[in-house]
Amino acid sequence: MEQFLQQLINGLAVGGIYALIALGYTMVYGVLKLINFAHGDLFTYGGYLGLTLLTSFALQGHLGTFGAIAILTAMVMGLVGIMGVVLERAAYRPLRESPRLSAVVSALGASIFLQNTLMLIYGARFQVYPEGLLPQVAVSLFGLQVPLIRILVVLASVVMMTALYLFVQKTKVGTAVRAAAIDQGAARLMGIDVNKVVSLVFLIGPALGGAAGLLVGLYYGQVNFTMGWIYGMKAFTAAILGGIGNIPGAMVGGLLLGVIEALGAAYISIAWKDAIAFCVLILILIVRPTGLLGERVAEKV
Amino acid sequence: MKRVMGLAVALGLLASGPAGAADTIKIGLMAPMTGSWASEGQEMKRNVDLLAEQANAKGGLNGKKIEVVIEDDGGDPRTASLAAQRLTTKGVVAVIGTYGSAVTEATQNIYDEAGITQIANGSTAVRLTEKGLKHFFRTCPRDDEQGKVGAATIQKMGAKRIALLHDSSAYAKGLADEINTILKANKQNVVFFDALTPKEQDYSAILTKLKAANPDVVFFTGYYPEAGLLLKQKKQMGWNVPFMGGDAINNPDLVKIAGKDAAAGFQFLSPPVPKDLDTPEAKAYVVAYKQKYGESPASIYGVLAGDGFLSVTKAIAETKSTDADKIRDYLVNKMKDFPGLTGKLAFNAKGDRVGELYRVYKVDKNGEFVLQPK
Repeated sequence: MEQFLQQLINGLAVGGIYALIALGYTMVYGVLKLINFAHGDLFTYGGYLGLTLLTSFALQGHLGTFGAIAILTAMVMGLVGIMGVVLERAAYRPLRESPRLSAVVSALGASIFLQNTLMLIYGARFQVYPEGLLPQVAVSLFGLQVPLIRILVVLASVVMMTALYLFVQKTKVGTAVRAAAIDQGAARLMGIDVNKVVSLVFLIGPALGGAAGLLVGLYYGQVNFTMGWIYGMKAFTAAILGGIGNIPGAMVGGLLLGVIEALGAAYISIAWKDAIAFCVLILILIVRPTGLLGERVAEKV
Repeated sequence: MKRVMGLAVALGLLASGPAGAADTIKIGLMAPMTGSWASEGQEMKRNVDLLAEQANAKGGLNGKKIEVVIEDDGGDPRTASLAAQRLTTKGVVAVIGTYGSAVTEATQNIYDEAGITQIANGSTAVRLTEKGLKHFFRTCPRDDEQGKVGAATIQKMGAKRIALLHDSSAYAKGLADEINTILKANKQNVVFFDALTPKEQDYSAILTKLKAANPDVVFFTGYYPEAGLLLKQKKQMGWNVPFMGGDAINNPDLVKIAGKDAAAGFQFLSPPVPKDLDTPEAKAYVVAYKQKYGESPASIYGVLAGDGFLSVTKAIAETKSTDADKIRDYLVNKMKDFPGLTGKLAFNAKGDRVGELYRVYKVDKNGEFVLQPK
């Protein structure tokens, strides 16, 4: 039982990160029907930018640990968000009216470009966050010793996801995003500036991805320029699992994928962990082709 | 206008191609310049570049300049086979590289069919030299050798419950199997044998499972990025089991990733690291390397690539030929105790390096790799 709870917590911590990244995929897909393959790399930029800002401004010394992390998160989210907007202008908007395949190829190209730019700027070796940045305290939870940071990682992702959900569901701008997701033409006729909505989506999605990159850097202490690929693939899977285009679906899918991986590793085989996770994905898609929370949307003609 | 320029460039290439080939000897370097082993690849390039520069300053090879032609294998078998095909069309007489065993394996037959000598620097998987390929050599030792030393070290520690962890790569699985077979034959208790997924960040699920098996020692046969994360996350869990590893963990980035506290006490097997090389040739080389790059060579595999370069250029110089059969004849039958950078160089008929290379290293409190007495 103790082992089970421990693995459950391991899974939730990883799943929280997957879910944050998955939100970026799902938002972009919801509005543009485009898989933004460069999203994983924007996540990596979050990790690297966080490191650079942290070490160059010596934030920690001025503001204390948590103040520093709050400011850092805001800065990283802002910067990665702006990168997302620029990416959309440069790589996707010119192809908006082209066949969907062109945009996908452009996305893959952007991914390769971003990854290798990062390597040329920072070098190919691993970059390491300063040691002893976060307090190494363990909290007793149901009789288990859980590192405090693990809990904070899960909490941070849940808070960001909830904020996003409320924003999209309850605000006027959020309504515009949903309208553009359903039918861009009709939304335009209702006086919604669809280009602005798309820019907004490319601001928020990458900002959350950047925040996830920062969390990974802070928690695991190490970033490398290829890490976006694996996280991107897993998060993309999570988005499909939950129902792509659906925000609560991305959250549920991310957390679920993390937990399935951890429990699969614990009770079946570590080597088969990914195979198990993908088998579950296939089974779920056979039963519910639109994902767990995905809605059946009428085909556009 | 564009078309005119393109035409001019194409003509220029045509004109310069064959003319350039005549007065240089081209040595290929296939290395992971990008991908997750890129730091190893860049070390390989630095070593080979430096040695080529030194050789050219002394008048080159058989009166011709040496030209190093680099192709990136990305640390990936598919990329590597394309890189190998490109190298074979560029007129190289020999290829140095590469690091990963699976990556090397994807290219062996391509070079063999093209009649190009290949000298790998980090590929330790046993089967690479068991295929009877005539023109394949390696300057690093083999995993069965490493397996023996590993199993002996584990037994010397007196561990009763042993856990083996690999990462499913050709190298790591081979080494883990090797150690497992020896331990089982000696009636040792292996309580855990499984593989992790490389390139992930979070290994806590694996560590939790490992801990439940309650081993006295964990031997991880994979590479340094994963080893660093395992050590760090093990420390965060407050688990104090000794960890050991194979020679792919010999990279200073291990300590950077794990942190000094978590890495302290970790032991690994490896050919001696550059600073422990004690021959006069090696010492002079390290000084020259520092002069050119401002730091000591970080990885032994880069230096082993240098040894590959030295072996093949020596063979070309002695035989006055770039014919692969003559090079083989020289390397296997005539070269004895040639002073390389990592000790004496000689090859057996399989293409394996002759001699014992493995040592046990331990990470101390300052994150330094300390050679353990034999």
